[in-house]
Amino acid sequence: MAEASSTQGGFGAWLLDPKRRGALLVAPALTILFVMNIFPLLWSFGLSFFNYKASSQRTPKFKGLDNYADVLTDEKVWERFQTTAVIVASSVLLQLIVGFLLALLFAKAFPLRRIVLMLVLTPMMLSFVSVGVFFKLFYEPTFGIVSYVLNFFTTEKFVMLATPAGAIAGIVIADAWMWSPFVMLLVLAGLVSVPKYLYEAAEIDRASKWRTFWTITFPYIKSLLLLAVLFRTIETFKLFDIVYIITEGGPGSSTETIAVYLYRTGFQFFKTSQSSALAYIVLFIVIVLTNLYLYAVNRREAEVS
Amino acid sequence: MKTRNLISGLMGATVLAAGMGWTPVSASDITITMAAPDWPPTRFMKEHFDATYKSPAGHNTTLDMDFIPWPSFYERVAASLTSGEQKYQMIVTDSQWLGAFVEGGYYMNLTDKIAADPELTAILQDLHPALVSAYSTYPHKTRAQLEEIGEVPAPGVSYYGFPQFPDTYVTFYRQDIFCHEGEMKAFMDKYGTNLPCSYEDWQDTDWSKWGQIGEFFQRKAGDMLAGETLDDDFYGIAYQAGKGYDFSTMQINAFVWQQGGDIWDESKAPSAQAEGVVNSDVAVAAFDEYLSYLQYMPPVAKTGQMDIFVIQDLYMQGKVGAIIDWVGLGEPVLDANASKVHDKSAFGPAPGSRMADGSIDRTGNIGGQPFVLTTWNSDEVVGEALNVVKWWLSPETQLEAVKNGGQSGRMSVMADPSYNSLRPWNRAHVEMIDWQKDVWHIPEFFEMLTQQQEEFDKAITGQISAKEALDEIAEFQQELLEDIDMIE
Repeated sequence: MAEASSTQGGFGAWLLDPKRRGALLVAPALTILFVMNIFPLLWSFGLSFFNYKASSQRTPKFKGLDNYADVLTDEKVWERFQTTAVIVASSVLLQLIVGFLLALLFAKAFPLRRIVLMLVLTPMMLSFVSVGVFFKLFYEPTFGIVSYVLNFFTTEKFVMLATPAGAIAGIVIADAWMWSPFVMLLVLAGLVSVPKYLYEAAEIDRASKWRTFWTITFPYIKSLLLLAVLFRTIETFKLFDIVYIITEGGPGSSTETIAVYLYRTGFQFFKTSQSSALAYIVLFIVIVLTNLYLYAVNRREAEVS
Repeated sequence: MKTRNLISGLMGATVLAAGMGWTPVSASDITITMAAPDWPPTRFMKEHFDATYKSPAGHNTTLDMDFIPWPSFYERVAASLTSGEQKYQMIVTDSQWLGAFVEGGYYMNLTDKIAADPELTAILQDLHPALVSAYSTYPHKTRAQLEEIGEVPAPGVSYYGFPQFPDTYVTFYRQDIFCHEGEMKAFMDKYGTNLPCSYEDWQDTDWSKWGQIGEFFQRKAGDMLAGETLDDDFYGIAYQAGKGYDFSTMQINAFVWQQGGDIWDESKAPSAQAEGVVNSDVAVAAFDEYLSYLQYMPPVAKTGQMDIFVIQDLYMQGKVGAIIDWVGLGEPVLDANASKVHDKSAFGPAPGSRMADGSIDRTGNIGGQPFVLTTWNSDEVVGEALNVVKWWLSPETQLEAVKNGGQSGRMSVMADPSYNSLRPWNRAHVEMIDWQKDVWHIPEFFEMLTQQQEEFDKAITGQISAKEALDEIAEFQQELLEDIDMIE
């Protein structure tokens, strides 16, 4: 039958034969994936073993693992990892606290709940660049709103980004503002999945609020919280846009995350091979975190089923 | 029948063309795609090209400007060049990029073309030597080295670019407050010297007075300023103190050079050293002086984010009395729709360091950009691109550009009697251009610049001292430059 149709309908019919249709449908996606992702990944992996500079047309020479050794022994790289760790830990913790409190708030019915919920979710729908620019202007000491409001209580303008600690706080607040709603959504999903009869039973047993939370609510949301922590850790680990726009890594290099440093190495200093090596180290860390994330997802699925 | 008509038509057209003196050969459609920062000097170039350009070779030439926002300009150009897409035939480039992209094989060496073309030679001879040195030569030759050779084009020197927009920094100031009688008297009473009001007053303004101005005009909301009550805090002065790109460096270099210090001198490589020069006592004192005036500037200075756009914005909002900024950013200041001080602003030369003989040294770091040709252009495109260079640098086009907020690098154009009155900052620009020097042009410039900007930023935000910052910079540069054999 297929032979007959290919003879009758020519190449079009042969191509659309049900036996080939599946492959045909996935081919464009696979091609794009290969061209845009897999090939560059393999290419940059190869580059990480050479001494290639994109700004130069000199023939690259093989360097083996030297680039990896250089990156791992570079003090600057470790400083940037430390900065990234501080920002990740602070931001994810703040997102968890704010997201959790928001979820508790929205788990209860109140007037205009849907509209307020929609407004609270808006930040995570904005682009990183917009959020970065907003917060840079908020923190501007001469005309920014933060300084303006605080100026009612102090005589001096408030200069948030003048110190390393203040600049880190500024980035953490911006990132947490953007992504706390995401944590809220996950936790809210957990909260609404708790059967009501468990709370009724706890009430009959006169359990305290804390005990009710710890023994009933928390078990339902803990896997989702873990998911939120891992997902946000992976994302914040790669944080670039907000940092670059708000502080450009300053004061000095005190807020320069590993992603910003990677960008500078690759696209400003044109140390292409060295930046490829660093990118693979970062990728390795992200893959480890992603595997933890997938493990948590699987555990959650097992719990639900 | 049709064929006979066609032949007759072609013969008629050829006779007509010959009769009108046209060249009926090799005319073709040429598109020159040019990477350009998105701002008024390049926007004007495109508008004026479309309105006036006629190819001397008879080509139908299109100038396709790829306007790129300033913050991503370097990255976009670098990505295009290094990806090998060969998109651009011409590029407006910062002078510092010359080394990276000449060594990469992307920018065309124009030395032979200039030598073979009397018109281009005449243009080069008429360009201000500070611009030729900064915008065109690679390996870099200083103005003094070029002047010592004497000939233009100089034998043994390679030329790459021509000025698209030569920029210098000048003082933008509020005439309404600097020329206010009450303020002038109060300033005289306090400091025993005059508050600069006229252009000539600014010619006699040194850094010390700049600091006094800063202190004098630092006012709180509710204080009086030029007879009016302020509704917000006001600041006397501002200059570049930004971590991004080259913002702090451009101003700090001026302090260092004026006081007799130096940066690593690429024109003396490999004998020139970084350690002992970059962190010399003179350089430390100069940097300390730069830092000492930040206390009188808007509080954003404490964040290390007070770049050229921030100070322009604060000035246009009426928050600062005087700023030192690029001429290229002057036009919006006079725009009534964008600037609260559009009708109150005047311009003077930037302050400098007072010398022992009483004169003022205003040595500064040149701004602006040359434009260059790329190496993959065909001979036909190269010829037409050079025609575009000649058109842009012709006196008529240059004067039109200046009327519309641009500047000229040609000495004959700057000497035109009408030049200074074309725009209010022109006189200051002409005075300042003679003082210009440039930062490094070697391929590693971005690495050096970024590290230097970081260390400057730490000092600006009070994390380290001027000496600590310069010691770090000197050590880094020494090591880097020794690694690439630029220091022996």
